[in-house]
Amino acid sequence: MRGMDNDYIAFRGNLQQLLEKVESGEMVPKLQASHAPPCKFWTAFMVVNGIRHVAPVIHGPTGCTYGVANAYKLTSCEYRGVPLEPTTCTALDESNVVYGGEGKLVEAIREVDDRYHPELIAVLSCCCSGIIGDDVETIARDAEKSVNAKVIAIRSEGFGGDFRSGFEDAFRAVMDLMEPPSQTKANTINILGARVGPTYTEWLEDLDEIKRLVSAIGVEINAVLCGGCTLDEIRRAREVKLNASWCYDWGQKLGDLMQERFGIPYSRTGQPYGLRATKEWVTGVADPLGLEKPARELIRKETDTVKTELESLRRNLNSKTAIVEVAEFPGPIRALSLARMAEEFGARPVVINIHPYTIKERMPSIRFLLESGQNPEVVLTKGLFSLGTFRSSRRTELEIRQLVANYDNAIFLGTPMRQPGIPQVNLTTRTGYPQYGFPGIRNIARLVESAVAHAARPRSKLFRQVLYGS
Amino acid sequence: MATEHEFLTGTAERCHDPYLRCALYGAAQTVLGINGCCVLAHAPQGCNMLVNSAFGWQDADYTETLTLCTKLCEDEIVHGGEELLTRTILEAQEFNIPIMFILSSCGPEIVGDDIVAVCEDIQDQVDFKLMPIQCAGFRGSQYDGTDIALEALLKNLVTDTGQKTANSVCLIAPHANANPTWVGDLEWVKNVLAQMGVQVNATITHGTALSDFEKVSTSEASLLLSFDCGQKAADYLTTEFGIEQICKDIPLPFGFGNTRRWLTELGKRFGATDVANRLITEGEKMVVEVCRRKGLEQFFMHRAPAAIVTDATIGIPLVRFISEDLEMFPELICLRSSQEKAREILEKELKELGLSPRVIHGADVYQSKVALAESMPEVVFGSNIERHGTEELDIPFILLIASPTMRFRIINREYFGYTGMLNLIEFIQNDWRERYRSRQSRYQARW
Repeated sequence: MRGMDNDYIAFRGNLQQLLEKVESGEMVPKLQASHAPPCKFWTAFMVVNGIRHVAPVIHGPTGCTYGVANAYKLTSCEYRGVPLEPTTCTALDESNVVYGGEGKLVEAIREVDDRYHPELIAVLSCCCSGIIGDDVETIARDAEKSVNAKVIAIRSEGFGGDFRSGFEDAFRAVMDLMEPPSQTKANTINILGARVGPTYTEWLEDLDEIKRLVSAIGVEINAVLCGGCTLDEIRRAREVKLNASWCYDWGQKLGDLMQERFGIPYSRTGQPYGLRATKEWVTGVADPLGLEKPARELIRKETDTVKTELESLRRNLNSKTAIVEVAEFPGPIRALSLARMAEEFGARPVVINIHPYTIKERMPSIRFLLESGQNPEVVLTKGLFSLGTFRSSRRTELEIRQLVANYDNAIFLGTPMRQPGIPQVNLTTRTGYPQYGFPGIRNIARLVESAVAHAARPRSKLFRQVLYGS
Repeated sequence: MATEHEFLTGTAERCHDPYLRCALYGAAQTVLGINGCCVLAHAPQGCNMLVNSAFGWQDADYTETLTLCTKLCEDEIVHGGEELLTRTILEAQEFNIPIMFILSSCGPEIVGDDIVAVCEDIQDQVDFKLMPIQCAGFRGSQYDGTDIALEALLKNLVTDTGQKTANSVCLIAPHANANPTWVGDLEWVKNVLAQMGVQVNATITHGTALSDFEKVSTSEASLLLSFDCGQKAADYLTTEFGIEQICKDIPLPFGFGNTRRWLTELGKRFGATDVANRLITEGEKMVVEVCRRKGLEQFFMHRAPAAIVTDATIGIPLVRFISEDLEMFPELICLRSSQEKAREILEKELKELGLSPRVIHGADVYQSKVALAESMPEVVFGSNIERHGTEELDIPFILLIASPTMRFRIINREYFGYTGMLNLIEFIQNDWRERYRSRQSRYQARW
């Protein structure tokens, strides 16, 4: 690395040091709350929406309701082959805010049961109902006696916690639906931490690869919680031998809680990016189930099929500095997985702009990653803390260009929305999925090859001016 | 002769599957139409997602227009968020903005944050204008929010100059229109007015300069471009500044009949009858010629039972267009809002056209779906919601002409006027053909 002008650097150190600064309150951004945009209500809805044939009753005005229905439900219909099912609300108005809306909620639950005959009704509170003190939990319990569906309630007021707490509280409510097991099924697992909609996790292709891997070693999946599971699958969730996650971060809370409450062991492994993490993921599932042998055999066979790609990754990443910017893609946890993968193939990873709030919100996952030996170099630039999304993004773009110029032989892993002027791996193209497992190695190797081959080609002025104005 | 038809209003139900967002969204849509402004949502961060959606709908440019959020948490709900609001406004001093709109959401309004008092207190400390707008989601639908914001804009930014500019108009609520590229409609209106020698003093709102508000009161007339909201604003301009609302009793210009009436009325009002007549003659000729040359497919349209499931702004003018020009037979109309004026116009239209469809005003998704299942039309003019929501009904043609639908399907192309007619026909023809595209091969190719 050449000598660096530090004017634009807000932090440089490693992940452990950043964690310490966040814990001590040293890194204080201008605005509080979560760094990720959705509120607790949105994220709680994402989990609920991942259960088939659920009828959500949102105890609030129409804005919250249409917002999540349009963002998640309709998107699942458009791109995930999911049928449109209702998203209802009590449409709270000024008079309900003054006089309370509990009566309206009771009637709404009954009406939803009559209209849609759902297996499950999920009542979600919003800011309005939360502040006026409508007791959604008691109402749900009482209403359940007079309807055919199961009724759960989630206190999901938008102000009530960061985005992550919505996932966690919703997963807690889902746990209450899990029935005592009549049997424990051999070689059966749940995949934890999915959310958004039936079969909609981050990318379907990654989930498909996980399913393929576990199936290849003779393991069955009871449910993907909550990525398109049924109420029956949730009820039977305690019959499994083991829980595993498609992403350690999202699965972590549910996995820990199910282990604590039901004694179901949880395989703690990171995202299967690259060969090492893929092996860990597979053995993390196979070993507790006594399936070491088929797992070793699978890994050997599959590794043989990606020899050329592994060689290509080593050739293209070895001795390079892999700049991994968090931004909207790949997001913090995936960025750390990519950093680890880059290191595996001989690169030195530098993770750019992992927001202090992200560290705060994902503390258990970050600790886990540190404990498993991941402690990459981290750089935060000042643009990350600028007020205003565009200003922040524009400033960060300029800072990244400045930053990468200081590294010899660097390669950028992140969004193509940046134009850092170094070889750039486009990990956001749909043709590059899955990124997990063995097909992931193939895809990423191809994308890295392409980045190196086209490194000298100029980036589009159109793209740059659209994004950054100049 | 018109026969009896059923009118339903709103929903007596307790559970509601909405087509519309809340007042905060409508207010955000409206103020984001002002160039170079900054919008601060005094809200938890989830509500800011609504502001982001509004930003997209207004075609705002993120290099010019700023959005901020106070990202309220439990602390501010318990202890109040006025301090945080003050701090955020003061921090925004680094921006070079003419005005900041402060929009309050449900949480802070219920706990009593006084955004008006905060703005008054710190107005002197900042060099941009502060305009608080209380538009919590519980105050109503997005259309109510648009009305709230329009009222705030007109009351705070428009003053009576006592002067009038001859042949000038002010355009109201162009953005409250389910055409996914409504900006095209607005451009068409401006173009027509320009040809008639009419000056547009202000558009409230889209690409509106703050200085445009100074010219609003000098307008001779106003044109309301929505049937879902904005009537209160038009009435206010009439009462306060004597601005006459024109074209108020006829549907917006979709198809030959509506466009002819609309242009004729404009021409009469502004002494530009010749221009209006020329536009009508040339426009109708152009549509006919294009359709002839392209080979307009008429087979599936003739007397096809149709449903219109959209907002009132495009839903009402579609009635005449599809029944007169396309020979369809509207038998169900589900409108997302329920404005008195819109009801009157629709009622009049149906009488004139001798139609007696079932009409649901203020429909929600469930009501539309049930009504569609009951009437089983051959053609639905609707959105992605109808496309997915009626999948199992196997309705032959779902024509995607209303939001929500793909944003990039077309860019800024109008439904109004003659090119607008062709744009709609293009959708109809393409969606019709798409329906008949083979989904799978009956046998494998051998080459």
